[in-house]
Amino acid sequence: MSQTLPRSNRRALLIAVPIMIVLFPLGYSLVSSLVAQGAPADSEVFLERPVAEHEACVRETAYMRYHHWELLKQIREDVVRYGIRGDVGLKKCSECHASRERFCDRCHDAVSLFPDCFDCHYYP
Amino acid sequence: MDRRDFLKTAGGSVLAGTSCVYAFRFLIASDSGGPTAETPTSCRRWGMVINLDKCLEDCTACLSACRNENNVAHHGDARWDIHWIRKVRLVKKHTENLGKQVLLMCNHCDNPPCAQVCPVQATYKRDDGIVIVDHHRCIGCRYCMIACPYNARFFNFRENEDWPNRDFPKRSHGVAEACTLCAHRLERGLKPACVDACEAQGAGALTVGNLNDAGSEVSQLIARNPVKRIREDLGTEPKIYYIGL
Repeated sequence: MSQTLPRSNRRALLIAVPIMIVLFPLGYSLVSSLVAQGAPADSEVFLERPVAEHEACVRETAYMRYHHWELLKQIREDVVRYGIRGDVGLKKCSECHASRERFCDRCHDAVSLFPDCFDCHYYP
Repeated sequence: MDRRDFLKTAGGSVLAGTSCVYAFRFLIASDSGGPTAETPTSCRRWGMVINLDKCLEDCTACLSACRNENNVAHHGDARWDIHWIRKVRLVKKHTENLGKQVLLMCNHCDNPPCAQVCPVQATYKRDDGIVIVDHHRCIGCRYCMIACPYNARFFNFRENEDWPNRDFPKRSHGVAEACTLCAHRLERGLKPACVDACEAQGAGALTVGNLNDAGSEVSQLIARNPVKRIREDLGTEPKIYYIGL
């Protein structure tokens, strides 16, 4: 090893490798989330539209896919705490995404998440 | 590079990397902020007047209307049944029937003991005076049931299977609940389910309205009639007024 690499290079390697090991998880999550944002949507399965009047979702798909729970939480806070009862909510979601099994549970099951929204809120 | 410089570089890199990731996350999630609009709860103060002289004897229309509207659990077992509104007979010393029936419900106190004791601020008084439970936050400690002097709070000891009104959520096992004065209906400009049911019966014993507005029906009723509130001596300042108690 000492014969193949000059001394300065070896030192650089000694510094670089631990830094890379430490930073790897952060970089990995960053890159994977970026990749996932650009993934094509299999919209046939996710979107069943019994009510035809809605043109688009309340937010774009990339946001909804990863942050819908933040939006729902915000709506919950507005309704429960401040009495701002807008028309967006779980009931509104169900007008386009008609089935809980084929829409919500599909991802939640895949990532082993079991939110208890539907203990109390009706979703068809 | 000595050991000190190496530690400095490594530490700086980790810090920079972490903050980049968090900044990225924040940029994506910047949609969610605090409430922006003026809330509809800020100007009104809801109250109710119950005219016991008009209340029909043994009529339970308001009770069943409340159950159907708010999915209040009825298991058929007194240990687990939940009542947002209930009707009691007044008796003296357990035997002598006074021949009077009284509707009891959450009094939506201005100074609510249940909200004061709640360790997680799940129970709170809204700006419009309605005392309400955030069931998402309730941990089921039942302290509010102990604190409430009106016995208006009930606990979900078991899961409720009935779900008559699918538009309104039910409560899952392990949270406390009480009358919300049908806040969801009031916000849509409707009257509470019990008030509607009472009017449908032709009795008109229940009236709900804005106590801040001197011209509202409830304010007029309170001004013109001798009204009583239950246990006024406790200083809880309830907002359910009784005529003929």
